[in-house]
This record gives sequence, C-alpha cells and structure tokens, in this order.
Amino acid sequence: MPALEMSQRVHETVVCDRREPVPGIVILGCRAPELARDVAPGQFVMVVPPSGERVSTALGVYEAAGERVSLMLVVVGPRTRELALLDVGDELTMFGPLGNGFALDAVGGDVALVAGGVGIAPLLLPAERALAAGARVHLYYGARTQRALVDAERFEALGASVSLATDDGSAGFHGYVTELLLRENRKHSALLACGPSPMLRAAGAAARALGVRAQLSLEETFACGVGACWGCVVPLDRASAQAPKFPAPPPGEARSYVHARICKEGPVFWSDELRW
Amino acid sequence: MVSADIDLSAQLGKLRLTLPTLMGSGCYGSGEEYAPLVDLTRIGGVVLKSVTRHPRLGNDAPRLVPVAAGLLNAIGLQNPGIDSYLEHDVAKFAGRPCAVVGSVAGFSVDDYAYVTERLAARDEIDAIELNISCPNVAHEGETFACDPDLAERATRAARGVTDKTLIVKLSPNVTDIASIARVVEAAGADALAVINTVRGMSIDVERAAPRLGNVTGGLSGAAIRPIAVLAVWEVARAVRVPILGQGGIETARDALEFILAGATAVSIGTGNFTDPRAPLHVADGIRAYLAERGYTRLSEIVGKANPEFRGGVRV
Repeated sequence: MPALEMSQRVHETVVCDRREPVPGIVILGCRAPELARDVAPGQFVMVVPPSGERVSTALGVYEAAGERVSLMLVVVGPRTRELALLDVGDELTMFGPLGNGFALDAVGGDVALVAGGVGIAPLLLPAERALAAGARVHLYYGARTQRALVDAERFEALGASVSLATDDGSAGFHGYVTELLLRENRKHSALLACGPSPMLRAAGAAARALGVRAQLSLEETFACGVGACWGCVVPLDRASAQAPKFPAPPPGEARSYVHARICKEGPVFWSDELRW
Repeated sequence: MVSADIDLSAQLGKLRLTLPTLMGSGCYGSGEEYAPLVDLTRIGGVVLKSVTRHPRLGNDAPRLVPVAAGLLNAIGLQNPGIDSYLEHDVAKFAGRPCAVVGSVAGFSVDDYAYVTERLAARDEIDAIELNISCPNVAHEGETFACDPDLAERATRAARGVTDKTLIVKLSPNVTDIASIARVVEAAGADALAVINTVRGMSIDVERAAPRLGNVTGGLSGAAIRPIAVLAVWEVARAVRVPILGQGGIETARDALEFILAGATAVSIGTGNFTDPRAPLHVADGIRAYLAERGYTRLSEIVGKANPEFRGGVRV
C-alpha cells in the first residue's frame, strides 16, 4: 500500500465548535488528532451522513491544528442541510484524509490562491504552508455577495494579501474572481484554485494568459471517495503523470483522453493536463 | 448462546463464505481501496469490478447523481480489458483475507465464454459472477438479462468453461424475473445475484437536460430495497439454487429482509458509500438477531418468511 494511504482511517469525532458566519455557510470544528496530524494541504474527507440512506459528503479540510480539524460547508441540498444542523456535542464520523493535495514543493516565491465561494476552504492549509516557507501569498477571493466572503481576514492575519470580487459588487471587484485575476495582472510563480467547475476552467485560462501553471482542486459528487467506484471522473491527458495506468483503447475508440478519478488521482490536477 | 458462537457462514455453489456479506461489484474496487478503512477479515468477500474482453474508457461524466434515498450511476464498465487485467491486476488479489469473486461482462455469448475462461483459470479468483445485467452500456449489455434465450446462452457458455462457482446477476428491468431465473438455473448457474440496478434517469430543470453523461443510469440504494426484496421473494419461489440478495442494504435489518425472503447471502454496494462500516454493522447485527432468537446458524432463517421458498440449500 502506498504510504499516503497508510494514514487513511475512520474518525469517530464529536463536534467541538460551530460557526455560521453567514446563513447557509457553516464551519464545524471536530477533535480528530490523527486527521489533524496526517492531512496534507488540499486533501479531503468523506463525512458519513448522521441519519444514513444518503451517500457520504466530500469536504475539503479547512483548518488543521493541534488535535482539531474543521470543515466548511455550504447548504446546497439534503446532505449538506443535515450536516449544517449539527451542533456542539453531536457525533460526526468521517474518513480520510483522501486524495492527492496540492504540489507545494516547487511553488516558488509568489503564490496566487484563487477561491470561488467555499472553495476557499482547502486553500487555508496551502496558504499557511507557503507563508511558512517564506513565499508571498496573494488570495483572489470571489463569491456571490459580500457576506458570502467568509474568513478573508483570516488569510490577511496570516500575512497574505487579498483581493475580493463579488457577483453583485457589494465588496471588491464587481464581477468574477477570474476577471479580477486577469485585471490585476500580477506575476506569480504558482497558482492554486478551488471552486465550481466553470470558475476553475476560467482560472485555468487566466493562468495560461498570465504565464503560470495552475493547480485546480476539482469539486464533484463522489460516491465512495476512495477510488473504488469510478463515479467521479474527469478527462485527463494520457501523458499526465496522474493518468491511471490504462492500455491503449481498442480500434474505434474516438476519445484520446483517459478518465481519471477525481477522488483518487485528484482532486488536484494540473489545468494544462485536463481535457474537459 | 453467546453471539460469537453463531455460524454466519453461507454456501454459494462451491464457494464457502465465512460471513454472508459480499461487497457488490463496481462498488468496492478490488477491495484494496477500502483496506485502510475496513478490516477485510470481517467481510465475506469482494465481487470485483466487471472486466470485459477489450479495454473500455467508460461513459463521459457526469456518472453519478445522488437522488432521494439512492444514487443514479452510469459508469459504463470502465476497465482495462481482460489482457491487461490478468497481467497487472489479478496477482494483487492473492492472499486476501476474504473471498474474491471475479465479475465478467460482455457484449456477445462468445465474450462471456472467453473472459470467464481466462479469469476463472486464475487461482486468485474463487468464483465468477456473470454480469449479464449492466444497464449502462450503449448496446446489448442488459439485453442478456432481459432475454431468456440470451441469458440461457451466456450462462451455458460460461458454465462450459469453468467448474468454479458461477453466480449469474439478474436484472430487475424485466416483466417476470422468476422466469429468467429458471432459465439461468437450468443453464447451469450455481447461484443467482438478485438484483442489479433499476433503470432510471434525472433531468436538470435549470439546464433542461439530462444530468447523466450517459442520459440514463441505474438506480441503487435504499430507494430500490423493496423492489429487490420482492425480486428475491419471487426468485426464491422459482429456483433451488442459492440467491445472493442485494439492493439498498445498509443495516442488518435490511439484510435480514433479503435473507428471510430467501437469500442465502447478501451483497452490500451503495451502502458502503453511506458508511464504510456498513458491512461490519450488518454482520454484527445479523449475529445479534440470531442469538436473541436462539438460532445457532444463519441458514436456519433463510427463506423463513417465504412460505413457498424452494431453496435446497439449508445446511
């Protein structure tokens, strides 16, 4: 078994703190010492639904320090609604850490983080890591409206600079965060992004225009979260180092890409290797 | 009677399971994906993801849609093909602390014979499940389970190339599953897996378009459990070979419904996506149920709720 998977386990935790900075966005803190110790920036957990009968929910790990981890979720349907109703003292079972996080070994001295909505969550740990390594970090953070820009000040307190964008113009740039990225036209040595798929595609295009390679953390519905079911795939260049080993397709197969599992080979991919 | 003394073993043809819990094909990978999370000595076995004669890239995304009490999927039998599978994958299954059941899918009778023969020849494979009921391939996949003649021919072809236990997986998407079951039994199946997913689809009303890349899919999870229990009930009155019951099992009580209807063992698929500990809870809960009622063997209650249960498998 590869070393990465050695740290995967089921964590039976209890909610130790809960914040709802804006209605519908909830941050749940849990005591999970092994997870806090083992999680790499950009990895996620699968959260077991408290009442069963639905598939688990994938959430990127937001904070990890000491014995505590936290998860940020936005209520979009029955599964997230159920989790948002949890309160301090409630039991919460999760398993992980899962997937491959961001490649932080060679991010250089000037890192751009691009977040859409709760896509901010898996970018906190890379920000901490990059800043600790002496890099400059600039966060481009977009959301529908000012109130949905959660915890931007946290990144500032760490030492990152921040540019904001909102769809309704209530804070920062009036428009998409990827337009803001192009408009500010800074030089970066690396770009890490997380958010909805249309935003990630735009972030990839913007990164190309700015001459920087982008790492995208993809959002998708997972069933197993561990690479067993092949439900969460994205088309990936056959030559990618992340491409699953797969023989040449038979004659008559028109597709030149392979399907990589977002939960297993990802969730972070190089933008220039995606064929989506 | 302490529950540790309860015999939960189950016999499917020549395949002896120490626990009656198999993990459904396509839901558990090869088992290694779950090994960090679940003690594989506490499950009966893994039914591997289906393999075909040629490699398949599978369907384009999206492949999953969570729906009320269930999951729609259309994976499309993504797999590396039997040549690559035998060369690179099968050796990894040696030494698993649970049963390993290979799964074969095909697009012709000859495919079923060819892939079954090659896969069953490997010592790492304890038994074969014949997947004649995948609903998510563009042509002919499920046709085999929906046409008595094709179901009979595919089963006979596979039976002719292996003496290992042959489990044939039936589709619920038929008018009379019992009549298909009879034909497949007569063609030499050692056991029947009942059921595969129920065909379904979901439409995104914002985009006014189907949600799945494949347009249609297969529904699994709690939503299909009553459909599956009825199918087991009907098949159990029609055949004597053992039944592997599956469809929405998440808890011991769910599994007991299938067993009382006539299933000798059960498969857990989507239930693992709710909670990877589900198979452990199912086995522990069955054991407790039997102990509370004074039974010593699981086989004592197989078909107990089904007056016309014909299974000749009571050990």
